[in-house]
Amino acid sequence: MFAPPVNRLITELARFPGIGQRTAQRLAFHLLRASDEEALALADAIREVKETVGHCEICFNLATDPTCRICQDERRDGDVLCVVEEPSDVIPIERTNEFRGRYHVLGGALSPIDGVDPEDLHIVELLGRVSSNGVREVVVATNATTTGEATALYLADAMRERAPAVTVTRLASGLPVGSDLEYADEITLGKAFRGRREL
Amino acid sequence: MPASFKTEAVVLRSIRFGEADRVLHLYSADRGRIGAVAKGVRRIRSRMGGRLEPLARVRLVLHQGRGDLCTVTSVDTVHAHAALREHRASLEHAAAACEAVLRLFDSAEPNRAAYNLLCHQLALLDSEPGGAGRAQSLAFRSKLALAAGFAPELASCAACGEADHLTGFSPVAGGVVCASCEAGSFALDAETHKFMVKALAHPLSEAPQAPDRALAQADRALGETLEHHAHVRLRRVG
Ligand SMILES: [Zn+2]
Ligand SMILES: [Zn+2]
Repeated sequence: MFAPPVNRLITELARFPGIGQRTAQRLAFHLLRASDEEALALADAIREVKETVGHCEICFNLATDPTCRICQDERRDGDVLCVVEEPSDVIPIERTNEFRGRYHVLGGALSPIDGVDPEDLHIVELLGRVSSNGVREVVVATNATTTGEATALYLADAMRERAPAVTVTRLASGLPVGSDLEYADEITLGKAFRGRREL
Repeated sequence: MPASFKTEAVVLRSIRFGEADRVLHLYSADRGRIGAVAKGVRRIRSRMGGRLEPLARVRLVLHQGRGDLCTVTSVDTVHAHAALREHRASLEHAAAACEAVLRLFDSAEPNRAAYNLLCHQLALLDSEPGGAGRAQSLAFRSKLALAAGFAPELASCAACGEADHLTGFSPVAGGVVCASCEAGSFALDAETHKFMVKALAHPLSEAPQAPDRALAQADRALGETLEHHAHVRLRRVG
């Protein structure tokens, strides 16, 4: 319908979450109308983020250095690890100001039906951290979904085996079933943190 | 077809979609497999979210739009299966049951036997989370294969009809085979054969037990039969 480069742009934009074909078209025309400077600033920002932001070697959070800012911060408590599914889950927990430990990002949740098995997540790295670094407690903050629960139960078993001295806890209920952590408000999430229970 | 309809279904799979939605694979009692979008369910304030998690048995009102996917308009819980979610083994066996139904039944053709079997298996795992095990899961899988029309032949040699000396299993022939037809088969213990026959004959709640070796053979026999004849690969029952 449009010139091939325009079609290509629309196709790329339509890949974004929540962006349908029609919205992608609107955005494409917005970019076509915009000045070169404005449109290319977006292209540059995308390039920069892809070139400079990677994953922390220790916790797999987003990082611009080999390790992330939280792993570099010596005031953070190394005894407690909070396990989350995605890097985007770190932000809402940080906002609660309830947690002063460090994180471990799994990179997803166990879901055999979708082909996600333990070896596809950063579980081996987690067990390595837990059994070597004097960790006292692991807070499993995976989502309140079926796959999040399955992951939490799997981790609790694996940790009982590999590091029996470590306490494994789960966020308290209060987070509705089916919801994603990143949509939780600070108050609910903070409460869930304070009331965490042993798995 | 009316734009909106009611149905009862089990949520087999749920995939994050867009900003806060989920795409659901449902297996329904009267319409077979249904794909549906549940809007906004990942938000904290969603009332539907908790009810539409995988493994839940629900009553739904669905809206049939122009696309392939329906939209969930409302949902009531028939059985949430909350107890089985607390135990790792029962949760994994329940997920495996849903996966088997997802792979074996992908059409809009209803199969009431398969639907009832899945509901029964989930209810069983929920009422006795400690009862989850390999033998029980294999019994479910045998019955499901039967409902799908792919049950292995167990009464006589699948190649020649001989009723005695059934010492092997041939996935290609689709059943047990006798000593003279054993090409392409693997050895099957008498105990395994007995387990497979009993698993089909007994209700799910009275699934037979068998030693590990026999269970491993039954798992292989069932798995390879489905690969050959249904072109479906299921992971082995853990
Ligand atoms: Zn880090
Ligand atoms: Zn024969």
